[in-house]
Order: sequence, then C-alpha cells, then structure tokens
Amino acid sequence: MKRRVVIIGGGVAGMQTALRLHAAGIGSVILEKDSATGGKLRDWHKLFPTFTPASEVLDPLRRAVGAAGIEVRTGAEVVGLDGRGAVLADGTRIDGDAVVVATGFTLFDARIKEEYGYGIYDNVLTSADVERMLNEGTLSMKNGDRPRRIAFLHCVGSRDEKVCQRHCSRVCCVTGVKQAMELKERFPEADVFNFYMDIRMFGSGYEEMYREAQVRHNVHFVRGRISEAAPTIDGRIQIKAEDTLTGRPLRMSVDMLILLVGMRANDDNRRLADSASLTLAPSGFVQPADPFLHSVESGAEGIFCVGTVTAPKNVGETLAEAAAAADAVADYLKNR
Amino acid sequence: MSFFAPFCLPFMAGAVVMFALLLVKWSTWFCGMPRADKMAVLRGLPTRKTLAAVWEVVSESLLHRRIFRINPVLGYMHASLAFGWFLLIAVGWVETVACLGLRYVPLQGHVFYKYFAATESLPHLAVFDQAMDFLLLVVLSGVALAWGKRFCSRMMGMRRTTKHVPGDRVALSALWFVFPTRLVAESITAALYGGGGFLTGGLGGVMEEYLSPLLLARLFEPVWWVYSLSLGVFFAALPFSRYMHIFTEVPLIFLRRYGVRAGDKESSGDRFRTDACSRCGICIDPCQLQSVLGIDDVQSVYFLRDRRYKMLEMKVANNCLMCGRCEAKCPVGIDLNTLRRNSRDTMRNIPDERRYDYFAGVDRSSGEGRVGYFAGCMTMLTPRTLTAMERIFAAAGEQVWWADRSGGVCCGRPLKLSGETDSARRMMDYNAGLFRKHGIATIVTSCPICLRTFREEYDLPGIEVIHHSEYIMRLIRSGRIKVGRGEEKFTYHDPCELGRGAGIYDEPREVIESLGVLVEPHSTRENSLCCGSSLANTVISDAQQLRIAEGLAAELDATGASTVVTACPLCKKAVSCAASAPVKDLSEVVAERL
Repeated sequence: MKRRVVIIGGGVAGMQTALRLHAAGIGSVILEKDSATGGKLRDWHKLFPTFTPASEVLDPLRRAVGAAGIEVRTGAEVVGLDGRGAVLADGTRIDGDAVVVATGFTLFDARIKEEYGYGIYDNVLTSADVERMLNEGTLSMKNGDRPRRIAFLHCVGSRDEKVCQRHCSRVCCVTGVKQAMELKERFPEADVFNFYMDIRMFGSGYEEMYREAQVRHNVHFVRGRISEAAPTIDGRIQIKAEDTLTGRPLRMSVDMLILLVGMRANDDNRRLADSASLTLAPSGFVQPADPFLHSVESGAEGIFCVGTVTAPKNVGETLAEAAAAADAVADYLKNR
Repeated sequence: MSFFAPFCLPFMAGAVVMFALLLVKWSTWFCGMPRADKMAVLRGLPTRKTLAAVWEVVSESLLHRRIFRINPVLGYMHASLAFGWFLLIAVGWVETVACLGLRYVPLQGHVFYKYFAATESLPHLAVFDQAMDFLLLVVLSGVALAWGKRFCSRMMGMRRTTKHVPGDRVALSALWFVFPTRLVAESITAALYGGGGFLTGGLGGVMEEYLSPLLLARLFEPVWWVYSLSLGVFFAALPFSRYMHIFTEVPLIFLRRYGVRAGDKESSGDRFRTDACSRCGICIDPCQLQSVLGIDDVQSVYFLRDRRYKMLEMKVANNCLMCGRCEAKCPVGIDLNTLRRNSRDTMRNIPDERRYDYFAGVDRSSGEGRVGYFAGCMTMLTPRTLTAMERIFAAAGEQVWWADRSGGVCCGRPLKLSGETDSARRMMDYNAGLFRKHGIATIVTSCPICLRTFREEYDLPGIEVIHHSEYIMRLIRSGRIKVGRGEEKFTYHDPCELGRGAGIYDEPREVIESLGVLVEPHSTRENSLCCGSSLANTVISDAQQLRIAEGLAAELDATGASTVVTACPLCKKAVSCAASAPVKDLSEVVAERL
C-alpha cells in the first residue's frame, strides 16, 4: 500500500516538504485553508538580501507540485489532528501515515498598537502593505503624491511585552532595510528614516545590505522607538520618538509611516496543540521535541512540524528545514 | 467590702497598662496632627456631626452593620463579640448599682462582681443573673464562630483569611480564653455559693451533682485567677496587637465625621487609620493580585500592618493596583488608597526642581470655545477615541478648545500614584493655569484618570469638569446629536477610576442603551474588576497585568456581547489584548452611529 503523509499548510514549507517526500517516493496531500497555495509569499514582492522576486521562488514550487501530481485541497481548514490524520472544519477526516504541521505564522495586527494610527490615519502602512503595493505598482501616498519623507518603525509587535509578543521576529530588521532601499529607489528625492531598537543582521549578506543602505542610499537609522503618531493639519503624520544615542526627544513630520510588523504565533496553534498534545512555547509557537537533533519533530508520534509554525524564520531557512522534515518523515515511515 | 482579692492583680495591671498606653498614643497622635485638622475637630465638636459620629460608633463599632452586609454570619460573629461584650460590661455596671445602690465600686468590683457577691455575701438579683448569662451565651456563640472560622472561613463568605503576626496570636488566644474561663469561674461559684442564671447556675448545678465539693473548692480560686490572667494578658497585648482597633475605630469615626481624612503627606493622624484596622482580612478576597496572581502579602491588611510596625517595604507599598475594590469593602472605612499613596510619597518623593522647567510658557492648545477637551496621555495613545470625539464635537456643532491635541502636559496622577507628589503638583498647577487662561466653562476628558485628578486635585473655579460619557449623554438627551439604535448587544466594563473612583456608572450605560442592548458582566458597577493595567502598580510585570486582563476579558466575553465597550483608554488597551470580542471606547461606538 502506498504511504500518504498529510501536510497541513500549503505555503513554501508545506509545498517543499511534499516535493521532497515525493522525491523519496512518498505520497502526500496538502491541506490549504486559503483558495490557493503559496501562503504569505503570494503577496510578497522581493526577497532579501538578493531582491529576488518572490514569484521566482513560488512559481517553480507550485509548478513542481502540479507536475508531481501531489494532491492539494484548498479551502480546507484543519481543526484537529493526530499522528494518523487531520480533521477539517466540515468534519471530514483526512487519514494518512504521518502528519506534517506547516501552518506558518500570523502577521501582527498593527491596529493593536493604536498609538501608531494604523487604520486610523492615511499613509500609515505595514511592511506587508508595502510589499503588496509594490507588487501592484500602487505605492504612493493616499492622494497620489510622492512622499518626501518616509519613516520605518521596527519591532511593531515584536519584543514588545505590552502586546505579549516578547520574541524577536528576526526578519523584520532586514525587511526594513530592504524596503528602505526599494523606496529610496522609487522615490530618490525622499528622506528615509529607520527607527529601531537594535538592528539584527543575522544572515549572510544582511550586514552588507545594511551598510549599503546607509552608504549608497543615504537611509538614516535612528536608535529609538516611536512613541506615538498623530495627524498634522496639512495631512502629514507627526511622530514622537527619542533618539537614544543622543538622549534627546524628537518630533518629526513624515508623509508615510511604515510599521514593520512582526511574526506571531497563529491563534489556532492552541487548538491544534490541544487536539494532538503538542507543546507550545510561551510565545505561542509550537515547540519542537528539541532544538538540535529533533528540531522538525513535534514530540508527539507521527507529527512533524516545519517552517514558521515553530519560530520566525526566513524563506531560505524554511525551505532547507522542509527537506529535513521530509527526511525525518521518511525515516519515521520506514521504521514504523 | 474592699473589692479586692489577689487574683484581681493581673487584670488590674493589664487594664492600667492598656488605658495608659491608649491615652499616650491617642494624645501623641492627635497633637501631631496638622493644625488645620485639629481646628476642624474643635469646630466640629459642638455640631450635629458629633451626634452622627456617636450613632456611627454604635452602628459600626458595636453592631458592625457593614460586616452584616458582607456576610450575615460574619456580621453576627463580630457583633456578638463586640456588642455582647459591651453589654456584659454595661449591664454588669447596672447590676452593681441595682444591687448596691449608688456608691463607688472599683473597676475590678464590677468585673468580678459574681466573685465578690458570693464571697462577701452581697445581694444579687435573679433578673440580672439571667440577663448576664444570656449575654455571656451570646458572646460565647461569637467565640465559637471565631473558632469555626479558623477551620472553615468559607462558611462566612471568606475564601482567605489574614495571616497573623505572633503578637496577634497571643492576644487572640487570650481573648478566646476570656469567656470560657468566665463561664467556668462563675459556674463553680454558683455551684459553691448558689445563684447564677440559666447558664452559669445550670452548669453549676451539673458540677455540684457530679464533682466533689472539695474539688470545686480547690478549683474556685485558680479559675478566677485564670480568668483574670486572660483578661490581663489580653488588655496588656491589646495596644500592640490588631485589637487596638476596638478602641481606635471610635476616634477614627469622629475624625471622619469632622472631615479629617488622610492626605497627600503622612501625618500622625494616620495612626488613627492604620491602628483602626482590625486585620479582619475582608480586603483579601476582592484583591485580584491575590485571586489571579496568587500574591498574598501586599493586600491592604498587610500594608497597614507593615506600616504600623514600621517594616513597610517599597515592594509592598508599590504592589497595588489601587483599583479600590478593597476600599469599597473595608468595614472600618479606612482611606486605604490615600494611605498607600502617602506612604509612597514618604518613600519616593524626591522632587527634581529642574526636570519640569520646560513647562514654562508652553501652550500647544488650539481652537477656541467654551468647551475644552483634554485627551490625556493615554487617549493620545488610543487615537481612535480622539478621532471619535472630533466627530462627535463636529456633529454637535460644538466650538472646542483643544487642550493637548498637539501635545500637552500629563494630568499629574501617574507621578502622584508613584509617590512623586511634589512633581505631580507642578504638572497640576501648569494645567490648571492653562485651563483658566483660555476661559472655558467646561472641560471634557475621555480619560477617567485625568477626570478624577481635575476634580479632586485641581483648583478650577467656574469650570465644570466632566467625563466624555457625561458629555455624550447630555448631547443625546438634549437632541444635539442623533444616534441610530440597533439590536447590537454591548457589554460595558466599569473602569475603576470612573466607577468606584468618580461614581460614574449610569451615564455610560444610558449612552449604550440609546445605541443597542446592554448586557451586564458578572462583576459590575461597584464590584467591577480591574483591567490590571493600572498605573498605580509598578511591581507586577506586563505578563501578570495581562493575566488580570484575561480574567476580566473572560467575564466580558461570557456575556455573549458582540462589542465590549469601556470608557477608559487604559482599560481599552488592556482588555483588547485579552478579549475575543472587539473592544471600543464609548465615543467610538457613538461616533460609528451618528
């Protein structure tokens, strides 16, 4: 009998796992709650640090999934799982020999940080909005004008105890640098500021990018969080912040405020974890069996986890981890 | 008739120590009070306030009516001990007068009348024997309940009781001994000499029947010794223990009636407040730090105890939400939050003369009108409320002076809550000056913290201070704004500072009921829970604050309402992190339906 693995989530993690399993001769079914595969990457413009268009990663993956004949069920929201399958919202049970949880993350809802005015004032955007608008070619101020001054705010919904998101989302720093460069290219006359707590350039090529943003693109970096934003009479946004390197408070009017929203754990991680006795970290992300030798195993028999469901990761890390997960699943099926 | 026996000595010594200490303590405390407070007492003496105070002493110090309202059994326990004992003394006094006529009888003669009546063959009246026995039975029932409370406090509606210090335990043990030993002593006396009512006489009869007269005669003097010793130990321990409240609550009631309250600065008059705490522990159950976080050493009872014994630590003084839930339940009516604030002032008030110099001449206000709007720091951090207020003002056609829309100075309360009273005063003076300068008749604020501060701390003659819930209610009532009513279900969370703090409960409810259906959560109005994000607590972590908010959010979500409404920017921020239903300020739900 042909073995089948149930993969929950059709983002890059889920698709890559399915493809690696297929290469090992193991069939799988991808359960995707949205209407199409691709996850968050569908709305992303370019990937750091190489400015590779997101489609150049996503399209080959999707084509390969189609070519391999991997079963994809869209509109399939999973409400429960165990080591032998998953239960959908409509009560259908999808059986398999192992389960891979690749449900990803949720973008922090910037409206919770009401003081930044997202959803209240015009021209306050999130990093996700910027990617979408860059894709659509619509990035400009609400009234169609070109922004003359742009501020990025790092760590919105990351490392913020007040909104119960203590963890670092890792990728927003470099996203802020990347978007600052993209905006500077699009609006060369604009001044671009990045307000940050720390700049964490952990990946290969990131630090170089950070330097290039300053040296070649003249992007300004100010160490200090913005405390609040308010509209001015002429329709701009006034931000209050403290430059903690000079120890002085500052006010600045900007045309566009971009909030670099963090990655947080999905709300339904709790429900899934309870149904399959998975462990959740205090951050709400699924905790793997151990961070070294069993980083793609959940600790519950037959259940594996891959990608950002366990922690914030970038696309490259996720794709590499998917290969590791497929390998672990194949190993598990062979020895069972 | 000398009215003296050697066994009286412990009692007499205890009584002398107690009365001497009481006199010394009270007079020192009173003399150390600010002059204005002493004058208030003198001026109040010949007024009706004195009569009101006397009545309150009877109803609270003796009958404990406020405790009855919390739990009838608990109330009976306290009343039977206090009022029962008081009547034992008073009726005992009448008994000696009735038996001996009007003549001088020393204190121990009254207290141990049964002993002297028997040994010196003084007259006794059957009616008093019965009455005194009945009263003794009442007090004994109170003692029995107090024992019962040790083992099962839930029976009296208390989930948790106070953890006592050793001194309290000594006094408590002595108190528990007083009445049983009195029963035994009077019963043996009745067995040997006759007399006694239904209780002591009855028990005496049983003793006479079953115990040898020789044994009874041998026990006679020792039991009176034990009784006197119990009284003596209790009296001597009283000024040092929680039982100081028995006497101290009386002057506290008078002070309160004369308008003398705890203030921003510690005063020796505060001793009347700290020592009036009976450590009953009624303040523990309402405390969410206890019920949610399991913190059990910071509640008002422990704060007052530590302050009284001069072992107060900052981490205790600062670990309080000042939500006022305990103050609302305190049977002695102590100004718990004010005392905590003035403790913080003593520990923390280090005014920085130059830090706030930048206020001078700053005026970022805009617009002109008879109505001023003060958003406050927290509304600036929840700008949906601000934009909603802008829409409401526009809809009502109100000309508004915006005090701080482009930045302003804090109302001063956060600093004051942290103990920096003098710096807070500088902010208050600045804002009050700003309000007066712009000639407004009304100042509207959407922050209950600012509201309370303006009302209680600012000198604003001719300026009415109202919360936006009151303002919106007036607009709706007078027809200046029209709102669409639907079938949407709302629930409302009473912010601590608005409800218990400023007594505003009905206005926001009236506004909500003009928009849709209002469903009340389990803890509502005076009993409403704190959101946990109180500025007053500088000790608990954000995660602990969130756990408190989650408890509140669970109650609000349980109503099944589709929107949670509140009227405080801090509460809104706290609850929206925890509730599953959307959380909105009152102004937002109104502005959405204009």
